[in-house]
Amino acid sequence: MKAPRVGIIGIGQSDYKSRRDDANYPELVREAVALALKDCQRSLEDMEAVVYSLAPDALLGIGNAERLGVDAVGARNKRFMRINTGGSTGISSVAAAHSHIAAGACDIVLVAGADKVGECGDSQTIMNKIWDPIYERSLPLGTITMLAMSALRYMHKYGMTQEDMARVIVKNRAHAALNPRAHLRKETTIEEVMSSRMISWPIKLFDCCPQSSGGCAMVLASEEYIRANNLEAVWITGLAHSSESYYLGDRMGRGYTADHADAHALGESFQRSYKMAGIADPVRQVDVAELYAPFSNTEFHAIEAAGLAPIGRSPQMLKDGEYFKLGGRLPVNPSGGTVCSNPIAVTAMVRVAEAALQVWGRAGAHQVQGAKVAIASGNGGDHQFFGTMVVEA
Amino acid sequence: MQFLKRTENWNITYEHALGETASWFYTKIRDDAEIYGRRCPESGRVLVPPRAFSDQTLAPTTDWVKVGPEGVIEAFTIVYDAFKNLPPPPYAFGYVMLEGADTAIGGYFKGVDLGDPAAAARKLAIGTRVTTRFAKERKGDVLDFWFETV
Amino acid sequence: MRTALQVGMIGCAFHAPRNHDTASLEEAVHQATHNALRDAGLAIDDIDGIVVAANDQYDGRAISIMAASGSVGGVGRDILCTPSCAEHAFVLAALRVGAGQFRTQLVVSWSSLETTDLSEAQRLGTDPYFHRQLPIDDLSSHGMQANALEARVPGAREAAIAVTESSRKHAAIAYPEFAASPVDPRVIASSRVVRWPLTEGMVSKPAFAVVAVVLASDAFIAERGIGQPAWIHGMGWATEPGFLGDRDLAELPSLRSAAQQAYDAAGITQAESAFDVAEVADASPYQQLLALEALGLCEATAWQASIGRGDFQSGGRLPVNPSGGALSFNPVFCTGLMRIAEAGNQVRGQAGRHQVADVTKALAHGASGFAMQYNTVVVFGRDRKEVQQ
Repeated sequence: MKAPRVGIIGIGQSDYKSRRDDANYPELVREAVALALKDCQRSLEDMEAVVYSLAPDALLGIGNAERLGVDAVGARNKRFMRINTGGSTGISSVAAAHSHIAAGACDIVLVAGADKVGECGDSQTIMNKIWDPIYERSLPLGTITMLAMSALRYMHKYGMTQEDMARVIVKNRAHAALNPRAHLRKETTIEEVMSSRMISWPIKLFDCCPQSSGGCAMVLASEEYIRANNLEAVWITGLAHSSESYYLGDRMGRGYTADHADAHALGESFQRSYKMAGIADPVRQVDVAELYAPFSNTEFHAIEAAGLAPIGRSPQMLKDGEYFKLGGRLPVNPSGGTVCSNPIAVTAMVRVAEAALQVWGRAGAHQVQGAKVAIASGNGGDHQFFGTMVVEA
Repeated sequence: MQFLKRTENWNITYEHALGETASWFYTKIRDDAEIYGRRCPESGRVLVPPRAFSDQTLAPTTDWVKVGPEGVIEAFTIVYDAFKNLPPPPYAFGYVMLEGADTAIGGYFKGVDLGDPAAAARKLAIGTRVTTRFAKERKGDVLDFWFETV
Repeated sequence: MRTALQVGMIGCAFHAPRNHDTASLEEAVHQATHNALRDAGLAIDDIDGIVVAANDQYDGRAISIMAASGSVGGVGRDILCTPSCAEHAFVLAALRVGAGQFRTQLVVSWSSLETTDLSEAQRLGTDPYFHRQLPIDDLSSHGMQANALEARVPGAREAAIAVTESSRKHAAIAYPEFAASPVDPRVIASSRVVRWPLTEGMVSKPAFAVVAVVLASDAFIAERGIGQPAWIHGMGWATEPGFLGDRDLAELPSLRSAAQQAYDAAGITQAESAFDVAEVADASPYQQLLALEALGLCEATAWQASIGRGDFQSGGRLPVNPSGGALSFNPVFCTGLMRIAEAGNQVRGQAGRHQVADVTKALAHGASGFAMQYNTVVVFGRDRKEVQQ
């Protein structure tokens, strides 16, 4: 029996900022929810279930903070669950909502969340606690140092330079300048990135994502509901997850399945999504990509994992000028991407939201002309969990 | 309108059970200054640090294999920023594949001048040979050892 | 609601070592996974996807799915995590199979005891805006709910004591190794008060356990010739609001909603007589009373009479918690999944010493969060559901 098609009918995003001292956490969630409901002209009462997007509790300073978000998402007496897959939480939440509808349990589901990373004293301290206390907790591991090591291995394997990395930031800031939701919107230059403070070799301040606060919400519905209510929608045609070994050291040495330089499991995840969506040739069939990349270097292996460039070749392709920019071929992160806004609990949902806006023709100044097929990805854990999605008009 | 704030600290203590495999590994480090890995029978890979089972195959690991003290740098970074509750910068750390191992273990790199990042990065480039140094007083912890270039 | 393909529970394992200090958490989770797969007659390669659930603050790991994912076969597989509660992992896994995207799912949840201060970890679940200064942990919330219930229903306390006694007697048969105590109602009633009106005898100390369950689609079950699955006839889940002060703690509208969802899907109209066995939430005996009422099994006015008659004891008209429940063994975070698994095992004929005879329909209920904030209901049947097209 064929599963019903699942569509996205409403999208709401905050303006992402460093701090939102004017709103507490549940209020921030409610803000995004109100925007998403308005977008599809539905009320909270119409929602049959809620999937709540929330990454590590410690970043918010509240254990199981989703419990406080129940009213913000109108979930009293309703189906409600929370998803946490680290940084990929947002896209995993959309996937969970998709399952609610495809299984025939619900016709319309709200996905929502928010983050206040700026309020947390020091996100890298918490990120250190994601490592296991048996072996690696004593080491100064954090997301920055972990991905700095990925950059180094990628450089070693494929010859990427720090200037190549800087080029990603220049591209994405130029995109973000056209996106009123983005946190970091100021354009920059390779020189400026190169002269920014070194944080963890070779990652410099400007290579890093910001600590953003803000919310995101989406409304998904079944095809039956969409037709019965005469609604506009875009469609999730492919979705999947895959993961790598938690042990960074296992992604090195001899006999590894995944190299820490690359994003092997992201590639697996994309292959599964593409298969479901019937995409055999992504370079030809994908019009735009919103790929989760919290540091400049990680955008390259994400592009390659998505099959949009041969492994190791994307830095050169970006340098040559034709690729990955708005207005060029295979635009990547026309919203500015994660390096311009990172409200961790929902960042991966924002990737789906932006992909949806693109194929809907509603991406405003950062619209990719004629986009009909978009892809989105999310990364979580120590570059471990990868969610992907294909969204089509 | 005055916007108020509250300060909160999380303060919970944990006693994490290490299990037999990790306990044996740390005992060897503490008592004999030796590092061991365990072999996954299905893939043949010697996993360091050792685990009771391979997460690729879910098969239990089998024999203990002594590894090191020499090895090769597989990944590194040099940190120049201070993060709360982490050491004062600058410091270098990363992953080393010890002789006899198939995976890399994490540890600090010492004895390299970190003043000039680019120069330091060249000294620690992937593929550089290192040796393991052990602290005189050991507790049975990954901080009982570190790596230095040879 | 359309009925999609059918989902059955085909494997289960409880891993509750006496001494949890000899193995790391990841090793314990691996053991439970291994045992559940063996029970289902499957290898890890037969598993299409996994859903886990754990509490970061209990585990002392900022993203608990990370290290654990290797233990449950997450490498190279599609794995998600529902930290809201263990029951939600079961729900999501069932939806994933029901969506036709996965033929099998492994569900794993655990409750660790590595923090020396579980109560402190639970207190971090209050909001820092208004309630963090107060001593609200799980037990305090159960106490508040018990008070509210006693105020609403005369005789609730006596009923609670009786329910506790039954549960301990059930546990003596089901899991004698837990040595669940006290059993004597006088001792239950008069032991030290921990959170008025809850006495030490009315609750069970937090325990360590890992619970793993395997689900599969009807097509997979048919293909592999798997005998006696527990078919999911209906599933419902709902939540109360977060602030205790926004609720009437003596009522559980979310459980009524969840039950209604499950009963509608399962075609159940008379809950009182529909089931052969029930496993319901009982971190405190008052939880069990609230569950009996909101699940439509027994009105509050009938508690004393029904309980007095032994209706809900083994051998009675509807055995409730023949496993002994959380009142006898309480792996705090995953008790809800344990209730679901116990009910499923009854239908599979795998409930061991506490197997109820001739079970064709079982009811499961799990509750989590302060004062039963999350409620999940599952109806299992021995036979495939009649499909309405």
